[in-house]
Amino acid sequence: MALKTPQEFRQSIADLHLRIYMFGELIEDYVDHPVIRPSINCIAMTYELARLPEYEDLMLATSHLTGKKVNRFTHIHQSTLDLSKKVKMQRLLGQKTGSCFQRCVGMDAINALYSVTYETDKAKGTDYHERFKEYVRYLQDNDLVADGAMTDPKGDRGLAPHQQPDPDMYLHIVERRDDGIVVRGAKAHQTGACNSHEIIVMPTVAMRAGDEDYAVSFSCPANAEGVYYIYGRQSCDTRKLEDNALDVGNAQFGGQEALMVFDDVFVPWDRVYLCGEIEFSGALVERFAGFHRQSYGGCKVGVGDVLIGAAATAADMNGAARASHIKDKLIEMTHLNETLFSCGLACSYEGVKMPAGNFQIDMLLANVCKQNVTRFPYEIARLAEDIAGGLMVTMPSAQDLADEKIGPIVEKYLVGQCDTPVIDRLRILRLVENLTLGTAAVGYRTESMHGAGSPQAQRIMIARQSNIDHKKELAKALAGVGKPWDKGRAKVPTAVAAD
Amino acid sequence: MTEGRQAAPKPRRRVKVVYCGGCNPHIDRTAVAAELAAGGLTAGRPAAESAAELAAGPAAEAAADSAADPDAGTGATVHLSGCPRACASDHLLVSDDPSAVVVAGELVDGVPTPAPELAPAITRKLKE
Repeated sequence: MALKTPQEFRQSIADLHLRIYMFGELIEDYVDHPVIRPSINCIAMTYELARLPEYEDLMLATSHLTGKKVNRFTHIHQSTLDLSKKVKMQRLLGQKTGSCFQRCVGMDAINALYSVTYETDKAKGTDYHERFKEYVRYLQDNDLVADGAMTDPKGDRGLAPHQQPDPDMYLHIVERRDDGIVVRGAKAHQTGACNSHEIIVMPTVAMRAGDEDYAVSFSCPANAEGVYYIYGRQSCDTRKLEDNALDVGNAQFGGQEALMVFDDVFVPWDRVYLCGEIEFSGALVERFAGFHRQSYGGCKVGVGDVLIGAAATAADMNGAARASHIKDKLIEMTHLNETLFSCGLACSYEGVKMPAGNFQIDMLLANVCKQNVTRFPYEIARLAEDIAGGLMVTMPSAQDLADEKIGPIVEKYLVGQCDTPVIDRLRILRLVENLTLGTAAVGYRTESMHGAGSPQAQRIMIARQSNIDHKKELAKALAGVGKPWDKGRAKVPTAVAAD
Repeated sequence: MTEGRQAAPKPRRRVKVVYCGGCNPHIDRTAVAAELAAGGLTAGRPAAESAAELAAGPAAEAAADSAADPDAGTGATVHLSGCPRACASDHLLVSDDPSAVVVAGELVDGVPTPAPELAPAITRKLKE
């Protein structure tokens, strides 16, 4: 099958008849639901750009499995160039959507599993890798979206998976059968889950003895029997129900998260990629996290580009663009944003070819990248709010602006730079609001903090790879630590003595 | 040579050690190379292309079946990188050349290996 068109993608998601709950109700026509539609548009953009020659270099890759051109989101990275193009593709999509476009988690999941299944087979004599390659071929041939499902609810964080009072706090195997396994549990914060054809489940932590039933990885269709979704709320989400584009800020695009429930779901053996091999769950978690921490050096940068552009435009429309402090703030925002991009590229260029044949990012630099992402978007957002001014959170509604009596008053007093139509000024301010504290702030701010692992998770990885002993040796060598000291040679400088 | 006299030295094969640039090593690369030498690789000297060629002694000869010509240059190569970025092997954790061994920090051909175990692991690989 060739690459899907955006229309084919939308229809294919509708055809799944997913069980999605929102506001306590089962949503029937979820593809056209006003709260969900913007997130569908985001993934549709990954299909649309892939069909345009001017974006082909980033959006497409040549499959090492089939030799065919595939969407890069289904590709197994074959070089450091592939890794860097991934980051650039993500920046491009962040720019085009001003939002989390949700398709990265599946890409990062397949790249992590590719090497882990290979190494598990080498150590355990299993045959996960070949079946996983078949699965990747299936994703590529059908141009599918896969959700990478890692985060378990976790319950009491002080207890191991098998110690939890409620065993379902971590997704686990409840039955092993001749034809497959039955699993139960949930995955939380699932970005793009209701836009995906497939689910790839991975464990959420390194497992230890006793956790064998929890060391499980598999894939299943998003509409597998027993799977359902409870849609996550976002700040200001019901503005999308008001049928006015202005107050939403970004009416076309948006992110999506859901709680994904597995209520005794059957998985055939040919879809199982880890089943009780506890010693490999940690590697899978680290590699998926590493790839996803690299991703943020692209996607958040693209959204940052939009926010910087919105802030600069707001300054223009406020008539403040020539103020030196505004220029300096825009420079600072750009500096922070490009630093994130630098980290995303650096961990790509320093990537390595794994024994399985795929390329993996440099883990230390990927974690440094994400650690910066937990901070810099917040500062960029703060500066954007500073430049935009308080009106972004106090201005009247679209209905007031449209009102026959009140509208002219709103226009009179909300005018900014003389040539700027008031409606355009309000549009830009609403976009800043959307990105910094509206629906898109889920992706740009809190997801920057906790997505791909909370800050402390990166700090642990950085500590492991920080090579402090080497740094100590460097310092000691220069300071002369440990060398004999000749007191007699410590003389007062001549000039001082002369005084 | 006659029976009863000391045997002539066995022919040596060159084992080439290619170092990374050493910007931020997690392991002591020269110590690993020295340990290889102490284990039978008798000497090491840096070459112009940031490589060292170690002449193989008796222990390494077990790994060096084709050791007849020291100048043949067809012996094994040890790519010795100080960290997992594997610069000495152009970012490959496993070489396409089956006679090569890739060390990247505490990884030998992609397998986690504690620093004290590196030289023995490399030697085992050379014997494979």
